[in-house]
Amino acid sequence: MEAKILENNAVITVELIGRLDTAAAQEVSEKLLPLQEKADRTIVLDCSQLNYISSSGLRIFLALRKASAVKGGKVIVKSINDDIRTVFMMTGFLNLFEIEA
Amino acid sequence: MAKVQDTIKHLASLQGIMMIVVAALMLAATSVIQSYYARKGLLSEAEQRAQRELTITQLRIENVTGPVESALVNTAWIAQMNLSKPDTLHTLLKNLMDSNPVLADAAIGFVADYYPEKGYWYEPVVARRPNGEYEEMILGSTSHDYFKMDWYAMPARTGEKYWSEPYFDESAGRTTVVSYAIPLKDREGKLVGVISADLTLEWLSDLLHDFQLYPNTYCTLESAGGQMIVSPPADRMDNKSEKYSMHLESTGWDMSIVIPRNEIFRTVNKLSLMLGFLQLMGLMLLGMISFKSVRDQSKLETVRSKKDKMDNELRIARGIQMSMVPKQFPPFPERKDVDLSATIVPAREVGGDLYDFFIRNDKLFFCIGDVSGKGVPAALVMAVTRSLFRSVSAHEKSPQRIVSSMNESMSEMNDSNMFVTFFCGVLNLSSGHLHFCNAGHNAPMLLSDSVEHLSVLPNLPLGVMPEMQYVEEECYLPAGSSLLLYTDGITEAENASREQFGERRTMEALDPSLGVKENQERLLSSIDDFVGNAERSDDLTMLIIRYMGADKSSVTRRSLVLRNDIQQIPLLAEYILAIAEEKHLGRSLAMNLNLALEEAVTNVMLYAYPKDTEGLIDIESELKENAIEFNISDGGKPFDPTHAPEVDTTKSLEERKIGGLGIHLVRKIMDEVHYTRKDGRNILTMIKII
Repeated sequence: MEAKILENNAVITVELIGRLDTAAAQEVSEKLLPLQEKADRTIVLDCSQLNYISSSGLRIFLALRKASAVKGGKVIVKSINDDIRTVFMMTGFLNLFEIEA
Repeated sequence: MAKVQDTIKHLASLQGIMMIVVAALMLAATSVIQSYYARKGLLSEAEQRAQRELTITQLRIENVTGPVESALVNTAWIAQMNLSKPDTLHTLLKNLMDSNPVLADAAIGFVADYYPEKGYWYEPVVARRPNGEYEEMILGSTSHDYFKMDWYAMPARTGEKYWSEPYFDESAGRTTVVSYAIPLKDREGKLVGVISADLTLEWLSDLLHDFQLYPNTYCTLESAGGQMIVSPPADRMDNKSEKYSMHLESTGWDMSIVIPRNEIFRTVNKLSLMLGFLQLMGLMLLGMISFKSVRDQSKLETVRSKKDKMDNELRIARGIQMSMVPKQFPPFPERKDVDLSATIVPAREVGGDLYDFFIRNDKLFFCIGDVSGKGVPAALVMAVTRSLFRSVSAHEKSPQRIVSSMNESMSEMNDSNMFVTFFCGVLNLSSGHLHFCNAGHNAPMLLSDSVEHLSVLPNLPLGVMPEMQYVEEECYLPAGSSLLLYTDGITEAENASREQFGERRTMEALDPSLGVKENQERLLSSIDDFVGNAERSDDLTMLIIRYMGADKSSVTRRSLVLRNDIQQIPLLAEYILAIAEEKHLGRSLAMNLNLALEEAVTNVMLYAYPKDTEGLIDIESELKENAIEFNISDGGKPFDPTHAPEVDTTKSLEERKIGGLGIHLVRKIMDEVHYTRKDGRNILTMIKII
């Protein structure tokens, strides 16, 4: 699992590559923790290379989303595959996030 | 068996009888010989005694007849001198009578017409009367014609002295007499008459009845003419007797001593009787001894046959005992995931070692045990232990519960204070996850990269303490590793100098890269080389299990064991991938299953096992016709994820909680989710219909 953070002025893009399972979640969570401070900006979670996500990953997403809501920013989930879309659906995340193709 | 015994008894008694018969024959022969010589000796002694007696009696008789003879000769001489005075002859005869009291009478018979004045006959006689007086008589007449009488006729004719036959003298003595007569001659030698003296026979009878050589012995005296002077008693005639005789020259009499044979042999008869009695007693004693010895021998035979029977039964018991443990190797030739080899090399005595194993639901149940002590009691306890293991493990898959249950049963009925060291393991063949519980047995050896002891709690042997709390332990057997279970007969095998084989040699004999059979042979031959010719005192028992890893080909069950570590989670993906490939499941379904599984396992790691504690999580999947069933179990603290409150996915962002998503996903993905707490374990069952 790899998480690349690309900061570009107002938009912070996070490339998530691989499987975001419980084992990987801790490291990703730590890596993305500073973003909560910058949640007033637009954060794009690029999931085009994300194969898998479990509740641990979803919690990271949710935490960011909550921080962004507090700070007045924006979280965009971009390019999720169908499987992950199903997970988002099952968890009601489709209603919480702005999903981009 | 009974028939053989009877035959032995019969032969033995026959032998006894033969012995008695031979002894009896020998005794009888001895008796006959002894009796023969004794009789011979007694006979010759009797003869000697009789001859001596006869000689004495002869002397005593001649002591009487001799004086009579000489007196008569003297009287004849005086008579010759006085032939011219016939009237003096009575006086002469009286003198003769006086000097010889045995004479009844005496007489001189003259030839016819010797004294013409006296007539044709002239015979002066003197007879003794019962009152002692003498009666003088002159006899000689037609009625008493002495010329015709033997006492006169014989000497007159022969000119010799003459002892007559006994006869009754009517005229003179009036008693039975024997006459002694000699011719009377004148000075020219011409016969002038016969001078005779009659001897009464009473003195002879007295003389001959006087002695008692043997009881019932008698004497007879026979005249030269064959008449009895002294007769035998009438009642003695028919008895079997020995007769000893002597001829008396002077009188011509024959004297005999008759001794009844039974009197001669009285002593020997008595002796024979006594000997016979003793011999009979001896024979009876011999018979009794022989009978007793026969009985003893038959008793001995009985004891021996009993011992044989017992040995035989022990052998059978041993056979039964050996038949109670699996002996077919390889036991599961069709399985690629596990191989076993086990053996009990029996010592001289029946022992109490055991091992057992079987596979149920892809789990290998196995055990090894060693009953304290030896012999039949140990064998019986071994049989009980093995039966208990089978019956308890039939409905129980936790080694701890198997061991505890066995311990309770064995402690309850342990009146003989025997205990069993026991090791019980359950190996999940689809994962290599091993649960085990030890009851005082020596720790098995794990043959992985190297050979080392498995870390095992000792606990207490079975049957010691009913309330003993046994602790279950677990570990993971890597594919290709082996486990050696053994009894102390292996490590304590002694050579001639009483050194023990020990654990080091045991470890050195094993090679982790080899199969079970090879390792068993290596270990046994190593022990053989070490022990040499020393006697084996204990069974050598070993059980080697080699786990080859889950058989990937065509299985309906798959298992996975994870440690309590988040970093193990990615293994679930591989696990699901394998199942997906097997069942040709779609990628999405596979991902969903992976997700559900991950959430369930993560919950266990987060809530059942405290952080950073050791713990294993078993994941089993069973592929069914139209469903997949997962079982996730752990030994952590009770945690029921199904009790978690439902997450409301419709809530607004502000109301949404961070947690609770995991179990929510599980519920969403799976068709059925159940939780049970069993045997100290959390078991979560999830079913997905496909």
